[in-house]
Amino acid sequence: MVDGLLDPDTLGTVAVVGLSISLLLSGYLVIRVKDLVYASLALALLGSLNAMLIALLGFAIVAAFLVIVYVGAAVMFIIVSVSMLGGGGHEEWKPFRGLVSAVVAAAGLGAAVALTGIYQAYSTPIPASLREISEIILSKYVPVMGLIFVALAATLIEAVAVAKARR
Amino acid sequence: MAVEPFVGSAVVVVSVGLFAIGAYGVAGSNNLVRQLLSIEVMFNSIILLVILLLSYDSILATLYSVVLTSVVAGEIIVVIAVVVSLYRASRSLTSEPLEEPGV
Repeated sequence: MVDGLLDPDTLGTVAVVGLSISLLLSGYLVIRVKDLVYASLALALLGSLNAMLIALLGFAIVAAFLVIVYVGAAVMFIIVSVSMLGGGGHEEWKPFRGLVSAVVAAAGLGAAVALTGIYQAYSTPIPASLREISEIILSKYVPVMGLIFVALAATLIEAVAVAKARR
Repeated sequence: MAVEPFVGSAVVVVSVGLFAIGAYGVAGSNNLVRQLLSIEVMFNSIILLVILLLSYDSILATLYSVVLTSVVAGEIIVVIAVVVSLYRASRSLTSEPLEEPGV
C-alpha cells in the first residue's frame, strides 16, 4: 500500500489532479473577486500554478519564464487598479452574455481538441538543457529572435506613444 | 509511461475550463481591467495546449512557449497603454463606450 502511494506515477497523477483543480479555482477567483487588486493576485497565483503544472510536464525553463512574466503582470495590474480605481471601480456584470460566451468558447475549443486529437499528443519529453536551447537560439533561430527583438522594441515605443498622447 | 494519456486528458480539461472562465470574464464584465485579467486567463489555457501539442520535442516547445509569452506580454503592454489613454479621456474604465449599440 505504502509502496503504491509512493510510486512516482501515482504521485505525479495526484499532483496533476491537485494542480488542475487549483488552476480552475484560481481562474474562477480572477473573475469573481470584486476587488481588482485581489483579482490581480489571483492571476499571479494562477500563473504560478500553471508554471508548476508545466514544470511537472517536463518543461522547467518555460515554467521559470512564466513565473517571471506573471509576477510582473500581476504587479502591473495592481498598479493600474490602484492608481485608476483605488482597487474597486464601477463594474456591471451581464451573466447571460458571459455564460453564452463561455459555452461557445468551451464548445469551440473542445471540438477543436477532440477533432485534432491533441489530448493524445502528450509524451514525456526528453529534457533539454539550457545550454542546448541557447545554442539553437544563437545558431538556427538568430533571425527569428532578431525579429522578435525589433517587434517588442516597436511595441514598447508604441505603448509609450499611446499612453502619452493628449487625445 | 502509463500516466501519459491521463495527463494529456487532464491538461486538456483544465485548458478548456480556463478558456471558458476567461471568455465569461471578457463577455460578462464591463470593466476593462477585469476583461484584461480574463484575457490573461485565456492565454494561460492556450499556452498549456501549446505545450501539450509540442511535447514530442522539448526544445521546440520551449522556444515556441517563450516566444508566445513574450509576444503576449508586449501586446498586454500596448492594451494597458490604450486603457490609460481611454481613462484620461473619459475618467472611467468601462467598455460600454467601445461597444456597438444594442449588443
